[in-house]
Amino acid sequence: MDVPTTVTTALEDRPIAGATCLEAGAGVGNTTAGLLAADAARVYAVTNDANHASTVSERVGRREVDRTAVLEADLRDLPLASNSVDVITAHGLCNVLTPQALERVATELTRVAAAGCHLVVDDYEPLPADAAVRELFALENAVAELVGGRPHLTFYPATMLRRLFAGHGWTFDRERTLLDPVPWTRRHLEAHAAVARAGAEELPTELREPLLADLEDLVAAIGEESVGEMYSIAMRFSD
Amino acid sequence: MQTRPLGETGHDSTVMTFGAIALNWLEQEGADQMVELVLDRGINHFDVAPTYGDAEVKLAPKLNQHREEIFLGCKTQERDYEGAKAKLEASLERLETDHIELYQVHGLEYEHELETITGEDGALEAFREAKEDGVVDHIGLTSHGNPQLILEAIDRIDDLETLMFPMNPVVAGKDDDDHDYEAVLERADEEGIGTLGIKAFAKGPWPSTDELPEADRPYANWYEPVDTPAEIEERFDFAASSGLTSVINAGDPKLVAMILDAASRYDGMDEAARRSLIERLRHEESPVPEQLHH
Ligand SMILES: C[S@@+](CC[C@H](N)C(=O)[O-])C[C@H]1O[C@@H](n2cnc3c(N)ncnc32)[C@H](O)[C@@H]1O
Repeated sequence: MDVPTTVTTALEDRPIAGATCLEAGAGVGNTTAGLLAADAARVYAVTNDANHASTVSERVGRREVDRTAVLEADLRDLPLASNSVDVITAHGLCNVLTPQALERVATELTRVAAAGCHLVVDDYEPLPADAAVRELFALENAVAELVGGRPHLTFYPATMLRRLFAGHGWTFDRERTLLDPVPWTRRHLEAHAAVARAGAEELPTELREPLLADLEDLVAAIGEESVGEMYSIAMRFSD
Repeated sequence: MQTRPLGETGHDSTVMTFGAIALNWLEQEGADQMVELVLDRGINHFDVAPTYGDAEVKLAPKLNQHREEIFLGCKTQERDYEGAKAKLEASLERLETDHIELYQVHGLEYEHELETITGEDGALEAFREAKEDGVVDHIGLTSHGNPQLILEAIDRIDDLETLMFPMNPVVAGKDDDDHDYEAVLERADEEGIGTLGIKAFAKGPWPSTDELPEADRPYANWYEPVDTPAEIEERFDFAASSGLTSVINAGDPKLVAMILDAASRYDGMDEAARRSLIERLRHEESPVPEQLHH
């Protein structure tokens, strides 16, 4: 499996070999694959999405049964012992967490961190005002707010996440730029549109139809766009 | 145009090398103009081969008019002594010149070829003889084959001075050893071997011949090339910022002026932008579900 260059770049200066690692928010397991490729002793791949959990098991878990544990669990309440993890990664996680969830996840990640634990947080800077993809994400968030009362995506500035984790006892180590610009490909945008479409199903017709019409126009008009920045922050835990 | 040392050959090659295969699809007058254009933009390294139709013959008039300005690379697909010696003589004749700066083993693909080339009565004996006679200055090798085989060639050919291999962002996104040309680049650097990049402008394979008959392809390239100024520029920048000495243009003459322009304006590409391009081009027919992230 090909590990994205964003993941390899974020991990290349971290001591992964021999470490017990936690991929917080495993998605399809890109970072789990990167951690295994970098010789992690053990990787806990945690996601609250059953489909993601089975995808990670299929893609990476199967070949690496001994070193991988895919856990379907909530990051706000991890089934892991305190002070037990050497490396924690949150690659593309924070943007799918609301501020309330983020605060609770930070508390829980700090609980499981062993003394000297390394934390890698990779995410997106807020998009510039003139980015076309902003409109698509705004629509996705509007649907999520209407349906569930909270946004689907929040882009946190790197400085803010640094301060958040500093407040939990983490010391800043380094920051680097992973992508500049960020390539929002047709595949990415189509996946975001699919989230909005699925959400819109739960809305009354008079709200759903104009939103969906806007959505399809937007997706067609944007096509793809390279804009914004993806960053990587590394921090260290010391009690 | 920027120049860089071509390994330890003592020659500083321009960051773009003119792939003279482009001349094959032009009449003589057009070929002459193409060479003048390329020289006018400052290119000092040319590359040709006897397998490129009649490119050698069409290059000859302007090559000889400007012989001192051109560092010429040529190559042979012959693997044994007699074949290589004969092909070199034939190339010299068609090019109407008495020497070639860089003579390269062309298109190494199989282990057994490497055996033949490096063995007794192998092509390299003819190369070395030509070098002793002052007909050839430097020895190189080209391959778009397995990177592991190229690494082996570096080990086995002590007097290898240049390598030509693919440098393409789609390929760079693949992790397996079969696509690891970065490892070749790294080793070449350690060994002081000059590096020339091909396939920088390849977008992907052509559609099947059922969908698009060969005769209906709009470009003469083996792969479908990128063909807008913005794409050409980012592909050039990607290849030139990889650590290669020089990047070879796509073969089709219609693309050469655009590539020359990108080469003239080249001023680096940082790592975050290089990764951005790799991730944008990461293979579409990937077996994993749709992804929301990078
Ligand atoms: C965008 S993906 C992360 C990508 C992944 N890290 C990678 O490198 O490919 C976000 C993941 O976080 C998971 N997630 C979001 N909130 C969560 C929570 N509260 N508990 C557990 N997993 C959560 C989602 O289900 C999804 O699997």
